[in-house]
This record gives sequence, C-alpha cells and structure tokens, in this order.
Amino acid sequence: MTRKPRVAIFDFTGCEGCELNQLNFEDQLLDILAHVDIVEWREAMDDRAGEYDIAFVEGSLSTPDCIKRIHDVRRRAKVLVALGTCAVTGGVNAVKNTRPIEEVREEVYGQDKYLFPTLPALPLSAVVKVDHNVRGCPMTQIEFLKVFTALVMGKRPIEPDYAVCVECKLRENECVLERGMICLGPVTRAGCDAHCPTVGQYCIGCRGLVSEPNIAGMEEILVDHGLSLDDARRRLQLYNANQLEGAK
Amino acid sequence: MVRFFLERDRVADLVKHLMERRTVYAPHRKGRRSFAFARTADPAAVVLDYPRTLHSVKKFFLPPREELLRFDLTDDTFAAGEPEPSGAAFLGVHSYDVAAVRRLDHNFSAGNAERNYLVRRQGAVFIGVGFEPDKFHFSGSVGIEPDDTAGCDAFLTKLLDGYVLEILTPTGRELLKGLELPPYEGNDPPAHPFQQHIYVPQSRLGRIMDKSYEHPVWAEASRTCVGCGTCNLVCPTCYCFDVQDHVDITATGGSRERTWDGCMLRGFSEVAGGEVFREGLPERQRHRVLRKFKYLSDTTGVPWCVGCGRCTAACPAGISIANIVNRLVGDAERTPVAPI
Ligand code: SF4
Ligand code: SF4
Repeated sequence: MTRKPRVAIFDFTGCEGCELNQLNFEDQLLDILAHVDIVEWREAMDDRAGEYDIAFVEGSLSTPDCIKRIHDVRRRAKVLVALGTCAVTGGVNAVKNTRPIEEVREEVYGQDKYLFPTLPALPLSAVVKVDHNVRGCPMTQIEFLKVFTALVMGKRPIEPDYAVCVECKLRENECVLERGMICLGPVTRAGCDAHCPTVGQYCIGCRGLVSEPNIAGMEEILVDHGLSLDDARRRLQLYNANQLEGAK
Repeated sequence: MVRFFLERDRVADLVKHLMERRTVYAPHRKGRRSFAFARTADPAAVVLDYPRTLHSVKKFFLPPREELLRFDLTDDTFAAGEPEPSGAAFLGVHSYDVAAVRRLDHNFSAGNAERNYLVRRQGAVFIGVGFEPDKFHFSGSVGIEPDDTAGCDAFLTKLLDGYVLEILTPTGRELLKGLELPPYEGNDPPAHPFQQHIYVPQSRLGRIMDKSYEHPVWAEASRTCVGCGTCNLVCPTCYCFDVQDHVDITATGGSRERTWDGCMLRGFSEVAGGEVFREGLPERQRHRVLRKFKYLSDTTGVPWCVGCGRCTAACPAGISIANIVNRLVGDAERTPVAPI
C-alpha cells in the first residue's frame, strides 16, 4: 500500500445513531486509524477535504439539498458505502412516503411548511450509485468493521443475502414464532447474527429485506400467526416502505 | 443381545456412570418448548422423553460454523485447525438421527474423504432411545422404526416405570460395565404407531421422482415459501456448506471459515458473474426434495430423508415435505408408470 486510503464520513436524514456508534469503537479506533486517513467527518472533526477513496454515508435523502450534496459526495468518492438502514432502504423515515408528501409536510411543520422543502425519504441508491451497504438500525460495529477491513484490503465486502432465520438456525435458537411472537426474520436480511431472536425478542426487520423477498408469502405467515393483513403490512413497512410501495 | 431393566429413578445413575467415563451429550430443554443436544453437566437435566431436538447430533461432527484454518499475512503462512475425535457418549439419540449420521458418514467418506468430519466422528458411542411419533415424524415410511437400533451401541426403550436397556455392541458392553442392573425379562414394549406417513412404494420411488420434474406441486409449495432456508438448516442429512475468508481488523491475519449453507437460499446457486442457476423458489424446492428422495437414493438405494419431520415442524410457512411427496406419489400412481 503506497498511501493510506482517504476516508470521509457524511450524514443525511437520520438519527445519527449509526455514526455515534462508530465513535464508541474506542478499542478498534486506533486500529482503524492505522490504516486510513479520516479527511472529513462532520461529527468528529472540522476539516474539509476534496477527494476521498471511501465515503461512508449515513441517513436517507429527504430534501432537495440532500440530493445536491449526495451528488457532490459521489463525484468526489471512489467508493461509496451506505451506512445504516436509512441510507440503505430509506429506513423508518420512509414510512412517511406511504402518505401524500404535502399532507406530511403540513402535519409536521404546520403553517411554516413553506420554509421546509421536503421530499419522500429515499435510499442513497435511488439517486446515486452505491457500492456497498452496512445495514442495521443502528448498524453494528462488527459489520462496519467487516466492510471496512475488506475495503482497506482491496477486497469486495460480502453482504449476506439470506434471511435472519439462517443465523438463528446456526445458533440453534428456539424460533420465536414458537413462543407466539411475530417475527420478520424469514424475509429480513441477515448479518446481525440474529441478535434480537437470540435474546428472546422478535425481529422487526431493521436491516431491510433479502433481495428477492416473497412478500405475499410473508404476509400469509403473519396472518396465520394472528395479525390482520393491515397490521402485517404495517409491520413490514416500518423499514421497507420504499421497497414495498414505492414513494407517493 | 442382553437386556436390562433401568428403573426410572436410576436414569441419573446411568448418566453419572457415563459421565465418569466419557464426555456425555444428551437432550436438554432449550427455550420454552424446545430441546437441544448439549454437553451434560447435571444428570437431572437430561431429557430422554422428547419429540425432536432443534438440531440433530450432526452439529458435533459438522459444526454450524467452523474455523478451517488461520492465515498470517505478515509472513504468508497458514495453519489448519486440528479437530479432535469426539470419543463422546451420545445419549438419548432417536433412531432417525443415528440413521442420518450413517448417511453423512457415506457423504463424507465416499469420493474425497472429509477429514474434519471423519476425525470428529471417531470414537462416538450412541445410546439410542425410542420415541413416540408426533404429527411430524414419518421415519417409519422410510424404514426407520422408533425402536430401530441400527448404529447404536446400546438402546433404551421406554416402559411405564423405566426403560429396557439393551446392550448391542462390545463398545456398549465395555462402557456400561459396572452399572449393576437387573435383567429385563418382560415382553417387548409396545410399538408406537406413526401419525404421519409418506405413501411410497420404495421400489418405485425413483421412477416416481423421475416423472416429477414438471409437477405443479413445486410452484404450489412456493406460494408461501419465503426461501428462508430453515428446512435445510435443521435437516440432519443436509451437509452443504459455504467457505469464506475473514481478515482481522489489524489486517495482519485472518481465518477461513466454513458455515452451513442450504439449497433453498438464493446465494447457494449464485455463481461467478452473478448468475443464479436455480432461479426461483420452485426450482429450489424441487432440488431440495429430489436431493432427499432421488439423487442420492438412485446411487445408494435408500432415501436421504430420514423422516424426522424437522423441516416441516420448523418451517414458518408450514410447508410439509411429506405432503409434497404424497402429492407426487398420488399423481404418479394414477398415471400408469411405463415398464422399464
Ligand atoms: S423452511 Fe419453509 S419457508 Fe423456509 S425455505 Fe424451507 S420451505 Fe421455504
Ligand atoms: S428432509 Fe425434513 S423430514 Fe427428511 S430428514 Fe430432512 S429435515 Fe427430516
């Protein structure tokens, strides 16, 4: 390696939980810094650089300004990584897309709505090319480090495209459906090592869907386990509104 | 064949006896309603009366995740993991799970012998236990009865007030020596009937499956199948895996890991260039069922499904492999099969 890769980190619409999560990596932070130069990171430092080898981008795109900025980031980055579910699918923000945008704007900003231009919340990939994803709400350190290490090594990060059920089975968990819970694990993309089912919770689908989900099948499973069809749809929408409905 | 009577109160003595001589793996409670094989620390925690465990004993010979080797990037060297022979006593194994281990033995020794599996498999002693079939078991239809002792060194059959302990091999005799038990002179304990069956004339199964390729059942089963892979991952005779390299965050080394995989998963049939050669769930479901009832059976003469019912019990969509097979058999039998 002749020079260290230049890394930048940006945030758009989201709770910034993903970025903060990174700052908690005290143990690994020094290891990370040994391999890269962090040249831009609004939350942690004040230094604006021109070009990056890797841009990590958190949050969904929800204003005209976001769209302008993401194009700018993309132009200057060799590799762009979406960080966290908001960036990857639009996340919880995209629930608003299931309603007409003017209605949402009025409800949130009332008579000041003209001061706040807003768009349906979109994943980064709806506007620019995204090279890799780190999923999760918030994303976990482990997954971030996996993608990060692969990129620093010049390898393609491997993004799982199978369901959380797989990781549950690898850990020999008792299925939470068996305990009368309603779980989105069967269509939710793995990578979290089935964190929630392992501690006795159900999966709410925070990582987005597998690439070819059978949504009708999943709805039927949820209805069989006692949800109304409307409730089943709402559950699936929480993190997947864009994938299921498209923006209104 | 020697038969002894093991009073219910003395089951713990048997477990203790085994624990003094070997590592013991036996069924324990797991979660609210499930059971899993685990290393026994407390004889009282062993459960001999259970419908099925989440995973079979396969997990001890082919672990769900396994580090195959570690590499060092600073000097370009690597060291392969050295698996240890299990040498353990597996207590309370059902006949279909022992039958499944025998099938895996074939898979991992025919052709390229698979070292890690075969080493771990060495010295394993099986003490089987009979079971009462529930609505998912159908092993009887593939020739594996609840009291089938094949592959076991000793076998327990439940009575009202205890168990009949049958010693079957010299290894079993040696291991149980010193456990003072009265002989059993009663009748054979009653057999338990199966509630689920697959109606397969074993000799015609191959031909029935041959004709099943274009059957509508594959598409029908895929209506609610979500492709989660659970059915593969809980199956005692599924043995496919994926291998990936992981680099440590220090970038000075890493490991090569093997993980269970399954043919219901999209990525399983994805090859270089991104092509997925079994495109949809119907093709994957067909492959799964034919792997159990045709491809391996054509060469070995036995079904690779042992009728444990795990895939059906665990499927979130309730898809039943027995129902699929029965559909195929029913339809094939209605249409005359051409003579060979
Ligand atoms: S467990 Fe059921 S839903 Fe999941 S892949 Fe198998 S058949 Fe399909
Ligand atoms: S295919 Fe299903 S019933 Fe047959 S051995 Fe596998 S898990 Fe058991």
